[in-house]
Amino acid sequence: MGKFLLLAFRNVFRNRRRTVMTLMMVGGGVAGLLLVGGFFAFMFRGLRESTIRNGLGHIQIFTAEHFQRDEVHVLDTGISDWRHVAASVRSGDHVRGVAPRIDFYGMLSNGVKSSVFMGSAVEPDSERAMGFSPRIASGRDLGSNSNGEVEALIGTGVAKSMSVKVGDGLTILAVTADGALNGIDVQIVGIVNTGFKDLDDRYLRITLPSAQRLLQTDRVTNLVVGLDDTENTDSVAAILIPELRGQSQPMVIRKWIDLAAYYQQVRTLFSGIFLFLGIIVFFMVLMASVNTLLMAMFERTREIGTMLAMGTPRMWIVALFMVEATLTGLFGAAVGVLGGNLLGVALNISGLHLPPPPGSDVPMAFKVLHVPGLMIGASLLVVISLALASILPAIRASRLQIAEALAHV
Amino acid sequence: MHPSDDLVHVDAVTRKFPLDHSAVTALDHTSLRVAAGEFLAIAGPSGSGKSTLLNLIGCIDKPTSGRIFIDGVDTSQLSPARTTALRRERIGFVFQTFNLIPVFTAAENVEFPLLIQGVNASDRRTRVTEALESVGLAGRAHHRPDLLSGGERQRVAVARAIVGRPALVLADEPTANLDTRNATQLIELMRDLNCRLGLTFIFSTHDQRLLEHTPRIVRLTDGQVESDSHSQGESHGQVLAACVS
Repeated sequence: MGKFLLLAFRNVFRNRRRTVMTLMMVGGGVAGLLLVGGFFAFMFRGLRESTIRNGLGHIQIFTAEHFQRDEVHVLDTGISDWRHVAASVRSGDHVRGVAPRIDFYGMLSNGVKSSVFMGSAVEPDSERAMGFSPRIASGRDLGSNSNGEVEALIGTGVAKSMSVKVGDGLTILAVTADGALNGIDVQIVGIVNTGFKDLDDRYLRITLPSAQRLLQTDRVTNLVVGLDDTENTDSVAAILIPELRGQSQPMVIRKWIDLAAYYQQVRTLFSGIFLFLGIIVFFMVLMASVNTLLMAMFERTREIGTMLAMGTPRMWIVALFMVEATLTGLFGAAVGVLGGNLLGVALNISGLHLPPPPGSDVPMAFKVLHVPGLMIGASLLVVISLALASILPAIRASRLQIAEALAHV
Repeated sequence: MHPSDDLVHVDAVTRKFPLDHSAVTALDHTSLRVAAGEFLAIAGPSGSGKSTLLNLIGCIDKPTSGRIFIDGVDTSQLSPARTTALRRERIGFVFQTFNLIPVFTAAENVEFPLLIQGVNASDRRTRVTEALESVGLAGRAHHRPDLLSGGERQRVAVARAIVGRPALVLADEPTANLDTRNATQLIELMRDLNCRLGLTFIFSTHDQRLLEHTPRIVRLTDGQVESDSHSQGESHGQVLAACVS
């Protein structure tokens, strides 16, 4: 077996120029996949973290009823004993903070124009403690002490449609928990650009006490949990589920991935693109390798004839070609992993940026993550491609007529 | 004589090769008997059918008609796997162009037949050393073929052919790519191995000078045996006795 592998190993390098070309081709395919996949991974991570830090949080806690039925009255499926629940969750490992939220909607007006809004009410200090802060286009974030004024953040679309700016006042109207209409005056302290036009056209954020006063309730819609690291989401969620069973209301949790529909759509789209690239690389390596291996078989016809004449089983010839191709794939993968990672490091150091994506005015950093799973996957892809590519030449070699092969010039 | 009395019995063998819409007859009802331990040359001009006959005896080609027996076994009745096993275990080959595996050293080339026979590593080492010593190349064991002269390469090929202890060694024009000195040395080497180890050698050549000391010469012309001569009337037994003395 050792000699057989040795023969295969030496055969791989008997035509050095061709082997170098093959390794460059295979390695190029692997490196390409690593760079594209590494960039996609960087993009996914960036999108994941921005989705979480823009307010989604790592875990959200709701009452079980919240997902079982629509609300008849505002917040009638909300969490009533939320301070106790928050305190209990906050004491857990890896938890950076817990922030109560109210989601509500209504109308806002500046006396001249009116518009509908989708509002969220937050505790600014709790949000900031977890690193959750909206992208302020102008003005500032909500303050915790407002000197009697009700502060509000609005989206860029709202500001534009209502023709208001930082410092202007607005009246917001909403239905209370009892079904009555209530209104409060707010002062705009900041204008937010979320990056999503539809959201910017409806965005309103006020403090939690202001919203509770407006809606005349002490409940909250949910609690948002921020962790020290996204990777801890599953482990913390696993601990929270039994802990929340002892609360006065049945509670459920949702992890960020369950709530990040946009992230999932983007990931599905780019994963599809990456799969397509992988298929192209697979067939590129397959076709080029079939050609190279057929050439190698043709050049070694007499040698194969000699081996068969000496009584070498035909399956050995098949195995020899397949092992040679597999070794070529392994070496090519090693070249590709090395080259791809070095190129990735060079690109990361270069500080390259891409133009801002749609809905953003911030250039996007071009960085490549080094993902071990991707390296293994891309390597397996080319090794399998080459092993498959060797089947036809291997079978043809094993079926050579010995006398004809020995007479081959 | 019954076929099983001979190591090789070629019985009225014809081999035709298709060419366009006709066929070229390379061998035409050729018969030949070779006893174990013989040293036999097949002579004849190019195209006389020497290589075809060796290929058929070596079971790397099949006759159009007729039968070939090796050690009494009708090779036409063997399955492909049994034919491969017969070649592996009973026949050694020496080729005109040496046909060594270029990425293997001399020792590794000699080892290859043992590898495919499934001989264990320790026995392989011993037998490779013996085979290389018997052809006078023990000192060149770790050289690759491209670092050996033509004569040395062919001696490695002979070592490879005999290392598996075959009953029969077939050499197709083994001296064609050698100069006269190396060619003579090679024939002397094969003759020596024939005498010392009792191996049966059948080789083809069209070099008249190499036939001078060959005890049995079968001459082919147009695919037929023209003559089958034992030198100076020596019988096979007399030749063996001469070797022993």
